[in-house]
Amino acid sequence: MTTATAPAVDSEETTRNRRRPARPGTGAGRPGFAWAAPAAVFFGLFALVPLLLVVVLSFTRWNGLGSPEFAGLENWNKLLDDPVMVKSLWLSLVLTVLGVLVQTPLSILLGVWAAGHQRNRAVLSAIYFVPLLLSITAVSVLWRALLDPNFGIPSQATWLFGDGNLFGVQTSALGVLVLVSTWQFTPLHTLLYQGATRAIPQVLYQAAQIDGAGRVRQFFHITLPQLRNTVVTSTILMVVGGLTTFDTVLILTQGGPGTDTTNSAYYMYQKAFKSFDFGMASAIALLLVLVASLVSLVMVRLSGYDKMRSTMEGV
Amino acid sequence: MIRHSQLLRTVAAGGASLVLTLSLAACGGSADSADGDSGTIHVLVYGDATNKVEKKLVDTFNKTSKVKAVLDTIPGADYQSKLQTIISGKQAPDVFFNWGGGSIKPYVDAGLLMPLDDFIAKDPRLESDFLPSVFNTAVVDGKPYGVPMRGTQPVLLFSNKKVLNDAGVTAPRTWDELLTAVKTLKAKGITPIALGGGDKWPTQMWFQYLYDRVAGPELFEQAVKGDKNAWASADSKKALGRLKELIDAGAFGTNYDSVKFTDGGSPALLATGKAAFELMGSWEYSTLQDAYPDFVKSDLGYGAFPAVEGGKGDPANVAGNTNNFYSVLKNTKHPEAVAEFLKLMYSDEFVQAQLSVGNLPTTANTPKFLDKAANPEYSKYQYDLVKKAPSFQLSWDQAFPPAATTTIHQAVQQFFNGQMDTDAFIAAMQSLPAA
Repeated sequence: MTTATAPAVDSEETTRNRRRPARPGTGAGRPGFAWAAPAAVFFGLFALVPLLLVVVLSFTRWNGLGSPEFAGLENWNKLLDDPVMVKSLWLSLVLTVLGVLVQTPLSILLGVWAAGHQRNRAVLSAIYFVPLLLSITAVSVLWRALLDPNFGIPSQATWLFGDGNLFGVQTSALGVLVLVSTWQFTPLHTLLYQGATRAIPQVLYQAAQIDGAGRVRQFFHITLPQLRNTVVTSTILMVVGGLTTFDTVLILTQGGPGTDTTNSAYYMYQKAFKSFDFGMASAIALLLVLVASLVSLVMVRLSGYDKMRSTMEGV
Repeated sequence: MIRHSQLLRTVAAGGASLVLTLSLAACGGSADSADGDSGTIHVLVYGDATNKVEKKLVDTFNKTSKVKAVLDTIPGADYQSKLQTIISGKQAPDVFFNWGGGSIKPYVDAGLLMPLDDFIAKDPRLESDFLPSVFNTAVVDGKPYGVPMRGTQPVLLFSNKKVLNDAGVTAPRTWDELLTAVKTLKAKGITPIALGGGDKWPTQMWFQYLYDRVAGPELFEQAVKGDKNAWASADSKKALGRLKELIDAGAFGTNYDSVKFTDGGSPALLATGKAAFELMGSWEYSTLQDAYPDFVKSDLGYGAFPAVEGGKGDPANVAGNTNNFYSVLKNTKHPEAVAEFLKLMYSDEFVQAQLSVGNLPTTANTPKFLDKAANPEYSKYQYDLVKKAPSFQLSWDQAFPPAATTTIHQAVQQFFNGQMDTDAFIAAMQSLPAA
């Protein structure tokens, strides 16, 4: 085997060399700093500089008028004693975890189904994709109207919704937030899983069939393990999206009832653009950055994303 | 050689694209400020249906003035946030819309606004032509900072007359009558009072009126100045107690926190007869007129907030938005032009234009034109109510500076749904920054 493949590689290399003569030195045509400069400058200007400014702002008192006043650790002390801050971090985590738990199974099933060759599959897949094309603001306004307790769905299904006070109780308000993000973002993850499923070599299924494995077994022993890397990618997207959930909260619940759905991103917005306490808002933003970095670090370690081994070994 | 030229090319291309991006980003800012000093004044207003009146007045002004006025609008919900971010910068307007009171206090403190004493000294009508209870809302630290520029919006108790008749209930004039009406209506399976609790400010209206009726306007006047004892006083507890009584009687139903005024939810309850009352600003009338014209014609009732037995407040007092105001930036380049522009706010043209869109101006010449208002009876009722009111309580969330709004809104909601008791509510209000 090895003797058979080695010359093939060689010949390919020689043809390439013939077409494009090798350049002297190592850096020729290779990405160097110059290549990265535009992106690096862009990143620095629009990500690092603002981040540094936020760090500075978090040590000041500023209501947007005049110049910021240095306040030392005042914001940080207040923040760490603030019960709403702790609560908002919890709510962010709860929304994220619920989002992942609900969306992952749904999008895997839909994605695997959409990767097949059934009748009407293309048409239905296209319809399932529509929510992703709508603006999240429009989607939230739409759901708010649909869930109106007196004139919406709950008024017609009192056996399920009771008095329909969905936005007045913490559990149901959180439920609505998860539902709306699921409705909107499942199509994106479905698309990821559809692509990944299509990339699984058919030989695996053929071999399994010969061995007498049924559909369910094939799903659990071939499809799912082969989707491992996609699960990690999709989950990271969900976690990032979940931790920074903002638009749905702003339009559907405004953080209410009370502070029961005030997640960190919304709390930050409230402090900055409702209370005009930019120092405090910057501290919240930084805390959110720290927590999110920690979460993604743990995820990368636990999932083996940093190594990202091939699932195609031996195929 | 090859390497060098390639590097150069890459850097050049990268640099060019970067410059392009930056210049694109900068465009948004530079367009506005470019014409700032070439003989124009910028008038910034809250973007909504009344803008056509403001546009008309700007056109009138521009016909005779050398300095031209430019009308800029910011859509409703974002107004205060956007204003705060531009007011101390280069994009600051010369004249801007506000609610008086706490909404301009931070700008006064930051030295951004021009006291209007000089304008008024030259033209006393800028003060004397407006109802005093309204004009005083924009007086901060003893100096006038605003000229009323829209309509007054007192909060009234609206009702569905047909529902009240069917239940044999008359419009309540006292708190006890209201409580009795609530019981009767509830027994008939009707939500007694529609409340857009999801918006939170409609909930706050109940606190404003009860504090006024029970304790008189003085308690809140003290509280807003930072007197924390006012909130802990016996009258404060009594007002909260009366309110709790109403909530516990089931007056608002159970799902009010899922209902909003802003998406038409609570007015629909009133108009369709699912609820009997709604406490709302005078704009309720035009909201209902748009959505349910037949209901407004035949069954819409309105009246003052009931008197509370044994309370210290005059039942003729009103609460709500006294008016909106134009305030002037201290560093405007054309103060004379601005003064001329403000004089239009008591002109006949202004009054007629405001009345035609359903707003009720608060100028001395308003009664002359009330017969020509969209609804003369309703306009006259409001004008008399406001004129005769010994006190006009500005909405709490506007009397306090913007920094207090979130806390007030959360507290009123949590008091209604039981997450806060009287003591917790008092503590929340005591934590507010003073105006």
